[in-house]
Amino acid sequence: MEPDVSIETSCMIRIAVLPVGTVPASVLRDYFSMFLRHHTIPLAAISSFYTEHQKSPFAQQPWDAGSIRFKFLLGGAPPSPWEDFQSNRKILAVIGICHCPSTPDLDSAVEQFAAACKSYSSALVQRCFAFCPCDSQLEDGGKKEDVLRLFPPADHQTLDIHLQTMMQEIAASLLMDFEKWVLKAESAGTILKTPLDSQASLSSEEVLKAKKRRLGRAQKTIGDYCLLAGSPVDASAHYTTALELARLTGDFFWFAGALEGSVCALLMDRVSHIDAVLEDEVKYQYNNVILHYRKSFIQDNAQRVSPLSFELEATLKLARFLCSSYLCRRNLSKEVVELLTSAADGGKSLIDVNDRLVLFVEIARLFGTIGYQRKAAFFSRQVAQLYLQQDNKFAATSAMQVLAMTTKAYRVQSKASMPDPPHTKKQTGPSHTDSGKMHHHLVVSLFESQWSTLQMVVLREILLSAVRAGDPLAAWSAAARLLRQYYPLITPPGQNGLASALNNSAERLPSGTRSADPALPFVRLHSFPLHPSQMDIIKRSPTKEDWWAGSAPSGPFIYTPFSKGEPNDTSKQELVWIVGEPVQVLVELANPCGFDLRVDSIYLTVHSGSFDAFPISVDLPPNSSKVITLSGIPTSVGPITIPGCTVHCFGVITEHHFKDVDNLLLGAAQGLVLSDPFRCCGSAKLRNISVPSISVVPPLPLLVSHVLGGDGAIMLYEGEIRDIWVSLSNAGTAPVEQAHISLSGKNQDSIISIPYETLKSVLPLKPGAEVILPLTLKAWQLGPMDFEIGGGRAAASGSTGRQFKDASVPTLLIHYAGPSTDSGDVTSATGSTLPPGRRLVLPLQVCVLPGMSLIKARLLSMEIPAHIGKAHPKPMHEDDPTTETVEESERKMEKRLVKIDPYRGSWGLRFLELELSNPTDVVFEIGVSVQLDGTDDNNLSTNQDGSTEYGYPKTRIDRDYSARVLVPLEHFKLPVLDDSFFMRDFCNEGSTSSSRSSSFSEKNTKAELNASIKSLISRIKVRWQSGRNSSGELNIKDAVHTALQTSVMDVLLPDPLTFGFRLTRDNSSPQQGSDSKDSVLANDMTPMEVLVRNNTKEMIKMSLGISCRDVAGENCIEGEKSTVLWAGVLNGITMEVPPLQESKHTFSLYFLVPGEYTLVAAAVIEDANDVLRARAKTDSPDEPIYCRGPPFHVRVLGTA
Amino acid sequence: MIVCVAVVGHQSFTEADDALKLHHIVHCSLDVVDERVNNPKKSGPTLNETFLGLLYPTENYKVYGYLTNTKVKFILVTTDLDVRDVDVRNFFRRFHAAYVDAVSNPFHVPGKKITSRTFAERVSNIVKSFGLSST
Repeated sequence: MEPDVSIETSCMIRIAVLPVGTVPASVLRDYFSMFLRHHTIPLAAISSFYTEHQKSPFAQQPWDAGSIRFKFLLGGAPPSPWEDFQSNRKILAVIGICHCPSTPDLDSAVEQFAAACKSYSSALVQRCFAFCPCDSQLEDGGKKEDVLRLFPPADHQTLDIHLQTMMQEIAASLLMDFEKWVLKAESAGTILKTPLDSQASLSSEEVLKAKKRRLGRAQKTIGDYCLLAGSPVDASAHYTTALELARLTGDFFWFAGALEGSVCALLMDRVSHIDAVLEDEVKYQYNNVILHYRKSFIQDNAQRVSPLSFELEATLKLARFLCSSYLCRRNLSKEVVELLTSAADGGKSLIDVNDRLVLFVEIARLFGTIGYQRKAAFFSRQVAQLYLQQDNKFAATSAMQVLAMTTKAYRVQSKASMPDPPHTKKQTGPSHTDSGKMHHHLVVSLFESQWSTLQMVVLREILLSAVRAGDPLAAWSAAARLLRQYYPLITPPGQNGLASALNNSAERLPSGTRSADPALPFVRLHSFPLHPSQMDIIKRSPTKEDWWAGSAPSGPFIYTPFSKGEPNDTSKQELVWIVGEPVQVLVELANPCGFDLRVDSIYLTVHSGSFDAFPISVDLPPNSSKVITLSGIPTSVGPITIPGCTVHCFGVITEHHFKDVDNLLLGAAQGLVLSDPFRCCGSAKLRNISVPSISVVPPLPLLVSHVLGGDGAIMLYEGEIRDIWVSLSNAGTAPVEQAHISLSGKNQDSIISIPYETLKSVLPLKPGAEVILPLTLKAWQLGPMDFEIGGGRAAASGSTGRQFKDASVPTLLIHYAGPSTDSGDVTSATGSTLPPGRRLVLPLQVCVLPGMSLIKARLLSMEIPAHIGKAHPKPMHEDDPTTETVEESERKMEKRLVKIDPYRGSWGLRFLELELSNPTDVVFEIGVSVQLDGTDDNNLSTNQDGSTEYGYPKTRIDRDYSARVLVPLEHFKLPVLDDSFFMRDFCNEGSTSSSRSSSFSEKNTKAELNASIKSLISRIKVRWQSGRNSSGELNIKDAVHTALQTSVMDVLLPDPLTFGFRLTRDNSSPQQGSDSKDSVLANDMTPMEVLVRNNTKEMIKMSLGISCRDVAGENCIEGEKSTVLWAGVLNGITMEVPPLQESKHTFSLYFLVPGEYTLVAAAVIEDANDVLRARAKTDSPDEPIYCRGPPFHVRVLGTA
Repeated sequence: MIVCVAVVGHQSFTEADDALKLHHIVHCSLDVVDERVNNPKKSGPTLNETFLGLLYPTENYKVYGYLTNTKVKFILVTTDLDVRDVDVRNFFRRFHAAYVDAVSNPFHVPGKKITSRTFAERVSNIVKSFGLSST
């Protein structure tokens, strides 16, 4: 069997083309392709070389239209045993190719050529062509004109013309040789034999029959030569004779051969107009040919030789003929298929493996021609299997190549062999939109699950043949495809085997080899992390001075659904990267196989080259997936696309496109693909990632912040005030020229001071420069929720209750931008638009711990009766045991203590009691200070020292203890009771006193009251200190407010009258001890006076009364058993006290019994004005206003 | 005897008897189906014909084809060399009905391999009865 047979093969002259001397393979190929162009030489062109020596046997030669055809066989071919049967099988000419530059010695070349020609005994013409000779060779070669033809050095075209002439000359010589041969054959007659003819059968022939048969065969051969000489009409005539003779003698084999020749002659004759009639004729004749070849089958020598290959060749010839006409008439395919199927069936009985190989190759080719790709692939696979049966490397290479051709039909082709689909090219541009639309066709072609059995078989065979052929890259590629696409169908040991095949192949490859087919892992895009808040990019518009205004997130929401929703509604998300600043992309890797996968390096692929990617290496355990961060640095301005990753795994570098995996996942979702590698690794289903369009902008400044003293959370107790320093440094390459600080987030008011000016003053901030901004922070109050959580956590962990919530910390937003006009290096790329500004979001990591807490505040009143002595009851610098109100009283601090005049008592003294608890594990010291407003300081009766602030001794509260702190409210009393406090009320009340405005006035009163409470509270500050450097202020406002709500008037307003008693005796008996100094003796007349002070600005007229009671509370002045005698008036004393003055009334008491007595003064104010009424909280104007002084103690000593 | 029945849908594939060779035969038969689909004969009666008839005889098998309106292909590979077209036609009609029932299952994902056991049983019944009626 021969490859590439067709009906026309019979009329082609075989010429062996042999390299002579040393000819480099590529040069040889080049020369050979030049020969191929001259496969047909028109007869008209050779007439100049043709001389008719005698009468030509080719009477009908078409000199004007006919041609001679060549078939060039590079390297020649061994002589065929069937040469006699089909003359076209003979090698009729030999051409040597000598490449002079590599073969300097032309003599040896000539010798070598002569030696080579010896094996071609049938060759009628021998020529050796020497190309590109040098001058010396030209001279030298001129002498060997007869055998060696020198082609002068020239360009390709000239050489071609030379060659054409040479070929015409060869054609002419051949033609003349054919004439000679035919003339000889006609006259002498030759014995023509085929391997089919056995000696026995020939000798047993009857003489006549044998002679006729010989004649017939000679006629057939002459016909062959006529065909080769390009004279079909002559050939036809001879074939007709041959057919007659063959039929008569029953020489079926030669009959078929002659018939074949005659068909060829028919076609040659009518080569220009082939029609349906001719086709039918050819079909009919050829079926006849096939039939006769079959008939010529002789059972007894079937083992040795068989005409079967001729039958099959004839079948293929017919099929090929039908194929060529199939292209114009499409309904012949069925016949072609039938022919090829029968040929394939017949091929089974072919003895020679090579014959079968050729047959299958031809069948595959023909099926391919009529578009039966799958059948073609099937037979190609058969061919490959035949190759694989031969145990040598070249056969394995051939098998591999044949299998590679089938991959398209089985849709397992390597990406390297696939032409770039047009859409991928398109997508490198900015139009990235259709990446979302998956190409269904692509999905199916890549992962066609239904033929997985076949596909795996093919890939496995490719792998096998590649290994055998020693092509590690092809082996790697096949194993990679097999593993990547069919891992669900491969058992874990099989997967391991493939992995080791990959590794073995990689060992034999040079490092850095690239393969078009990715293996594992599967890589998909996970997300593009937006800029960390440190690096936000804000668009700047040239028209707006405060470009940051709208950009800051409004309100407390870090995420606003409105602003977020926009980019989705509008088509694309946009991402801005900055030259020189590292960026990150998250990708997810999956290893669905049962072995540990080591990815030696993986990095982002960017084709434009404007990106430096940083490779990383990853280990993936079996059946696992992993999200990794890939980073890189953009290096030039412009749009950038990231189509995938470059992976170095199993020793080979491959490119993994995200799009492919997306298609795969889509296919998996539709059930088209075997399995989703990510899902089977347990990875969650990922929403569809929209690839943002990424643009790279020129360098921007980059502020990096850190808080001095550690970036950790600052731990503050509630109310603590602390200064912190924030350092900002410019880590970018452009200076900061604009900067603006604003606040956002919760608890903004906890930042007490912001150094706007400091920041402004350092602009522009050069790259590398640093600025330190001081901030004052006051820890906010924890809400009940915070507190609960904090407390609960503290209790649970038992430690510091470290409570850290991002949501509640205030955030510093610093908007900044570089120079607004570029310094010139950026031209029209950015155009007129300003480079964007940036935003630094600096959450102040403050952790507020629950500190000292106020449990409750209440108002206490303390009443200590005064003693009557000689001294006037006015506040004096004296000790008093009442200092117990403040714990740990110290002598040193006595000036700060609350002092109570023993002669005045503390009637109506009120304390604010604050119950504090310390839940923390540190010690707190509480200091209370009271601030007095200096508005009324013209009457400083109560302002004992001029300072406006009082400090009280500190109270220490240990951890987990609670304590009470008393704050005396004494100093708040106004010195004068006048209407200023009530003024507004009385304006209303006094003028109308109707109910019309009462509600209004009530409201007013309340507001006034609240205001006064507020002012009161604001003057009390409870500061705390803990350790050396934390201090703060306790927020007590609310608690105190509620405590004071009811009795603020009593705290603030003085009584209209104050009463006091005094001994007026001058001649005091010698006293011993301070205690007895003011004592009163029994049975002694004791002169006393009562002092009444008017605290109002009006004259008060009153009726004063004095009563005296003993310890039991009995009135001891009046009644039957009175124990005190008196002199002077004690009841119904009418007095008038001028405003802000004192009046006194003198009287004497005579105590009969020693002991303790209490004197109380009381007065009924007459003609009270509204102020007094209001103070007394009486409503009816008729009610008498009764003022009662505090009790005064008198200790009466016995006289014994 | 029928050795192989295949449903070649847009994507799906089910076979009654597994062998790589049959895979190949069915795979190759699609060439013929493709050709018939792409070059429909103009004549009237074959226009709506689902039965494609004998696709091609190969080695020891005969391959018959059937194409539904939704371009799902049924391929029948039989070793019987003497088969009446009527029988094959009948077989395909019944097989088509079984297929329609199987893919009407709401749990069947169109395009995926049919996993219904009932379908398999029905197909094997049809296959058996084909053998009976024809011989």
